[in-house]
Amino acid sequence: MVRLAVELRNVIKKRHSKTIGPINLELPEGHIIALVGQNGSGKSTLLSMLLKLALPEEGTICWFGSSVEGELPIEIRRSIGYVPESPIHEESHWTPEEAASFRRRWYPDWDQAYFQALLDEFEVPQGIRLGKMSKGERRKFEIAAVLAAGPKLLLLDEPSSGLDPFAWRIMIETLQRYMDERQATIIISTHIVEEVRRLADYIILLHKGKLLGMAEKDALLGAWSEVWVSAADEAELAELAAELPEALELKIQTPGMARMITSRMQDLEKRFSDLGIKKIRSRILDLEEILSLWTMGHRPELADLKRGD
Amino acid sequence: MWIPVQIDDKSAEPLYHQIETQLRSLIISGNLAEGTLLPSIREFAGDLKCSVITVRRVYQDLEGEGLLRTRQGTGTFVSHVGDGARAEYRRETVRKALEAAVDAGRSVQFGEEELNELFQEIVKRKYGEADNKGE
Repeated sequence: MVRLAVELRNVIKKRHSKTIGPINLELPEGHIIALVGQNGSGKSTLLSMLLKLALPEEGTICWFGSSVEGELPIEIRRSIGYVPESPIHEESHWTPEEAASFRRRWYPDWDQAYFQALLDEFEVPQGIRLGKMSKGERRKFEIAAVLAAGPKLLLLDEPSSGLDPFAWRIMIETLQRYMDERQATIIISTHIVEEVRRLADYIILLHKGKLLGMAEKDALLGAWSEVWVSAADEAELAELAAELPEALELKIQTPGMARMITSRMQDLEKRFSDLGIKKIRSRILDLEEILSLWTMGHRPELADLKRGD
Repeated sequence: MWIPVQIDDKSAEPLYHQIETQLRSLIISGNLAEGTLLPSIREFAGDLKCSVITVRRVYQDLEGEGLLRTRQGTGTFVSHVGDGARAEYRRETVRKALEAAVDAGRSVQFGEEELNELFQEIVKRKYGEADNKGE
């Protein structure tokens, strides 16, 4: 059976300008789940609800199988690590060492040696105040400090913003190693497709406050193709359109060639050979294009947690 | 440990299938020796830029075929490949290549006889070359 780190049922959060939800989600333990969507789609709101920093007007949220009335109990709060979009102002006058010694009191499992090793690997300057650091250096401190506490659930709100490519790679590898060593769960909001490619097991897509669903990342890759076939003119194009219900966005872009996209390439190939249509070329759409199609309403096959167990 | 499996992003073949086919052939061909410890699921997924769901599925499938075995707490190892499986695999590899060649011939309207002649000619040339080198 799949154990859930978090479950949301009919969760609705009303912001002054828009409503987030209703959100129904089951987030399986031991996986990395990428939260994607345009600015203002509700990603940060969703993450803050998972910490009860924002309270939903409707619905329930369960952490590790239990729903919580009122404040999050300390045991649950301790097992969640959070890197917010902007760092906490209250720590800005501290050096990394001072901030760590403050955080350490709250986390009995704090691993000081691991914290120090991560600071060294990230080359975070020591002895200077967090508020004086560059955005990237501060970010690296935040990631090191959140991992040192040994969380079972990690909520990362655009953790790579401000990181240089070297630090970015170390972050990716560090998160993968962390996941390899413990059965943790990571929910990471990001705009960077390469980050999704490298890290995610599942992808959640939000659009204008609405949840469009959760899909297995690898099931998305290769799901859509762009195909070109020969077509002389608009009349022939109309014939094609009538014959090929599997084709989307069918149009002539280059004289003599019709272009279309499809998520049913195999069916289409068979139709081509039945109808004697000459295929000129095809290519697989990349993740970025697939996410944009999904945003426009072309929903992929969604994740089914029960499958394969 | 690094395993030489390479994913083709541009291929429509599902990721799990690409990985499974390549890993299976590495094991059956003996390139990965019996007893080799494979990377953890997360590590392998990180190397291949795919999800742990995919790697878990590949490991489970190959375990089902008896090519891998998992020891709780230690990891996944290459299992013993029987001579029967190896012989079968050898034969299957060649059969697939030949079938593709015959399909290629048919697609340009090659007749049976013409194809046979060409096949014999190539066999004679290639095996002859090898013999000459051996002498």
